[in-house]
This record gives sequence, structure tokens and C-alpha cells, in this order.
Amino acid sequence: MNAIEIKDLRKSFRGKRNQKTVEAVKGISLAVKPGEIFGFLGPNGAGKTTSLRMLTTLLPIDEGEAKIGEYDVKRNPKEVRKHIGYVGQLGGTDMEATGRENMMLSGRLYGMTNKTVQKQSEFLMDLLDLCDIIDRLAKTYSGGQRRRLEIAMGILHKPDVLFLDEPTTGLDLQNRANLWDHIRKLKSAGMTVFLTTHYLEEADELCDRLCIMDKGIIVAEGTPQTLKREISGDVVSIKPKNDKENIEYMFGGDENVLDIRKEGGKINLYVRDGAIALPKLFNVLKAKGVELESVSLSQPSLDDVFLKQTGKSLRDTGKETSI
Amino acid sequence: MRILLEILLLFKRKMLETIRQPVWVFMGLITPLLYISLFSPLLRNLSSPPLSTGAVLDAFVPGVLTLLAFIGGTGAGYGVISELQTGVIERLRVSPASRFSLLMGTILKDIAAFLVPSALVIIIARLFGFKVHAGGLLVMLVLLSLLTAIVSAWSGSLGLILKQAGSMAALVAGLELPLTLLSGVLLPISLGPKWLQAIAHVNPLYYAVEASRVLAAGTIGSPEVFKAFAVIIPLAVITLFWAARVYCKAVS
Repeated sequence: MNAIEIKDLRKSFRGKRNQKTVEAVKGISLAVKPGEIFGFLGPNGAGKTTSLRMLTTLLPIDEGEAKIGEYDVKRNPKEVRKHIGYVGQLGGTDMEATGRENMMLSGRLYGMTNKTVQKQSEFLMDLLDLCDIIDRLAKTYSGGQRRRLEIAMGILHKPDVLFLDEPTTGLDLQNRANLWDHIRKLKSAGMTVFLTTHYLEEADELCDRLCIMDKGIIVAEGTPQTLKREISGDVVSIKPKNDKENIEYMFGGDENVLDIRKEGGKINLYVRDGAIALPKLFNVLKAKGVELESVSLSQPSLDDVFLKQTGKSLRDTGKETSI
Repeated sequence: MRILLEILLLFKRKMLETIRQPVWVFMGLITPLLYISLFSPLLRNLSSPPLSTGAVLDAFVPGVLTLLAFIGGTGAGYGVISELQTGVIERLRVSPASRFSLLMGTILKDIAAFLVPSALVIIIARLFGFKVHAGGLLVMLVLLSLLTAIVSAWSGSLGLILKQAGSMAALVAGLELPLTLLSGVLLPISLGPKWLQAIAHVNPLYYAVEASRVLAAGTIGSPEVFKAFAVIIPLAVITLFWAARVYCKAVS
């Protein structure tokens, strides 16, 4: 049985007065296997959070089916709530309480006894590095500490599936990498993790499988490796000094060049083999007298996959500007 | 019963939060005392010869307690709004806890936060000559606790609907003033002209104030008291029912 199964899930929001209805999720289908880390990658406004909120019973489903394990989200939200953990973008830590009090309340509301909460908290404090801060008021925590506490609360009741909505947004690089480690630990403990992110590196590093989402639909699905392999070869990015100059036509006839895409002032050339293509490209550019401001050679990234599927770069739409 | 445990847990959470805000606790205790020390002397000279301090307090303390009960409930909405913003409500909504317990946790905290300063007011007023009729006061506190519950449920639900502290403050202030002015909290409505008395009759707060005055004087079985419970109990039931629905539906 799949941990999560979605069929043709849809959601629209009615606009106020004269505004049009917004279709946030336009019919998505997918299945997540138990023990997987599954990700939704996409820019802000792609419909990731809306989908997640439907799966976690926070938003009513307009159309389509969603099942968490054996429980139907529409028909049996109460059972679903017992079997999932959820850490939203806002977090939900009670700032006026200590970490321990936060955990205790969470656990007790899930029907656990005082004792089981204590035992399970000890275990999670170790796992998520919370021992030193657990008795301080949560309002004194750093962003990373708070996130770890929230994740601890999300998995306290041993849910089958943990939903994380943009888990590392707002964290610095070090904290982000640290949190990735923790999330991997959850996977090795057998938990299914479903997360949304607009960070390419996060999807690439963390997810076993992912969906790329844009404007309410899934535009690509697979493991990070297969998705990147679809874009074979290497990527040469060149930026001419005079970016008004139209130089794409120069490479049109080259059999090494598989695809050409413009992105801002840059031109991305998808080539079979960088080592062969690069010298040839330079010769062409030299012959035509084009001066370059920058040039780089790289392996395809998930951004290239995104660019190929949607015609735009995730970096332009997301918050992040550089790796 | 699971739901009782949930309510208790959520009530404890809200109480802890309140106690940890010393400014709130301090202001909550000092406000009623300010009313008594700074406003009640004004009442003394309303009649000639001037009334004794004890007689003034007999008339004024029930009003102050009703005011406390009313104002005590209005804050719930702000708590809800800040919990919406920190995601606490969302976290509780994905848990299997009943939505009704979320609502009740806050209501019970507001009732507790009303009863403690009220007890203080009664004790201090007594030192200055306020006559304590235990039975009447007890019934009065029950009635006023129901009033706090109604206001708290309203405020919390409006917080969920409006989602913004600004609009919430405007609405609360806009409702608070006419409701208190038309209730006879500070001065008996009977001092006013007929038209004012007529409008007051559509204000539930008015019945609570009238009954409180009678109860504080020690009369329990009077028509004012029956009328007040006849207004407040159905109102509490309807409000809780509606608020529970708002809590079930609320998004984000």
C-alpha cells in the first residue's frame, strides 16, 4: 500500500467581487511509497502549499481523491489527523511555553500518556539536538532550534507520514544542512516524509523522488538523477558583453548543441560533451568577434530541468538568488 | 472523557501563558481597583446629603464586576490572532483534538482571569464598607462568568474571521462603548430618560447589570435575576454553538 495516494486533486479559490476564480491546484496525481522522502519543488505560488494543506485536512478538497495509507482524507479526516505529523511554514511553536511544555501539550492532545510523552521526548531531544534548550522558553530559541522543536512535535506521536512545508525557509546554510541530516535520520527510522521546497539544492540533496510543480500542475516527476539525466550532456552558459547581440544563430548548425535557451542576459547551450563543444564554441565566437563577459561549464541541475519544462528559471521566481 | 482532558490541557496552556505575562496580571488586578478608588468617590456627591462610602460601593461594585466580566472576554480575539500568526492554531487543527476544546480552553482561562480580580475587588471593597451577601455574590459570579464566556467566544470567533489585530481592535472598541454605556454599568440606567431605558432593553449586558445589583444586595429570587438568566443562558448556548462552527471551519 502506498503511504500517500492522490488522484486528480483540484482546488480553486473564489476571488473577491470581480476578481476571477484562482485555480491553485489543477488536477494532480501521484503516489508516495512508504519510507520515501518525497518532494514538491516549485516556485512560490505553484500550488505546493495548497496541495499539502489539502492532504493534511487543513483545506477542504474541491475535487479528486487523496488517501494517507488506508484513510481517505475527505471521508475520514479524523483518522488521517491521527496518522500524520505536520510542520507548517509558520511552525506553530507556542512561544510563551518551554520546549518541554510544547512537546507535552502536543503529545497529550494526540492521546499519549504523560509517561509515553516523556519517554518519546527524551528520545527525540537526543535525535534532534534539543537537550540543552528544552527547558527554556521557546521565544528565546533561534530559527533553527525552533524548527527542530517543531519537527520533534510533528513526529512525537510516531505518525506514518510527516509533512514539512518549506522546512528550511529562513534558515542559514549551516542550519539547513544540519536539518537535512536530521530529516535523513527520520527516513532511516522508517518514516515517510513529504516536503515542499523552492530550493533546488534541497530537492536534489534530500529527496528520493520529487515532482516539479508550476502553476498548479506537475510538470515533471522522478528521482533527481533521472530528471537531470533527461537533460543529457553538459550546460555551457555564456554571457556576451553586448547582450543585445543576437548570437544564438551561430550555434544552430552545430550537431554538438542539443538545445539553446536564453535566460536573462545569459545563453544556455545544452551540449553533448563540454570538453569537445567548448573549444569549438570559442572558435565560432572568435571568428564572429563576440566578446564574452562570462562563461561557465556545468552539469545539468534541477533548475535546467525546471527551465526546460516551464521555460523559466526557478531562481528567477524563487526567493533564492544564488547557490 | 477525552474532550474534558483536552479542555483541561488547553486551559492549562492558556493559564500558564497568562501568568507568564506579569504586566497583564498586574494591569488586570489594578484596573478594577482604579475604578473603585478613582470613580466611586465621584458618586458620593450625586445625592444630598452625600452617601457613605459603603452605600456607594454597594451600588457601584456590582457594576464594576460586570464591566470586568465583559472586558475580560474581549481579549480572546487578540490571542487568537497572534496564534494564527505563529501557526499555533494550525498546529492544533491538524491534531486530533476537538475544535470545541480549543474554544473552551480560552473561554475557561478568561473566566478564571475574571474571577481572580473580582475576588480581590470584593475583598477590598468590603474593607471600605461594602456589604457582602455570600449567596447573592456567588449567583452573581456564575451569571457573570457566563457573560465572560459569551464575550470570549464572540471575540475568539471574530479573531478567526477578521485575522487582523487592527480590524479586531476597531470592532471591539466600536461595540464595547455602546454596550457598556447602555447597560448602566457605571451609573444606573434608571437615571436616564425613557428612550435611553428603552434602548437598554435590547442590550443583554443591561440585564446582567440589573441582576448583579439585586444579587449583590442579597436577593436571589427576584424577577431581575430570572430575567438575566433567561437572557444570558440561551445567548451562551447559541454563541458557543456558533463559535464552535467558526472554529471548525476556520482556515489557516
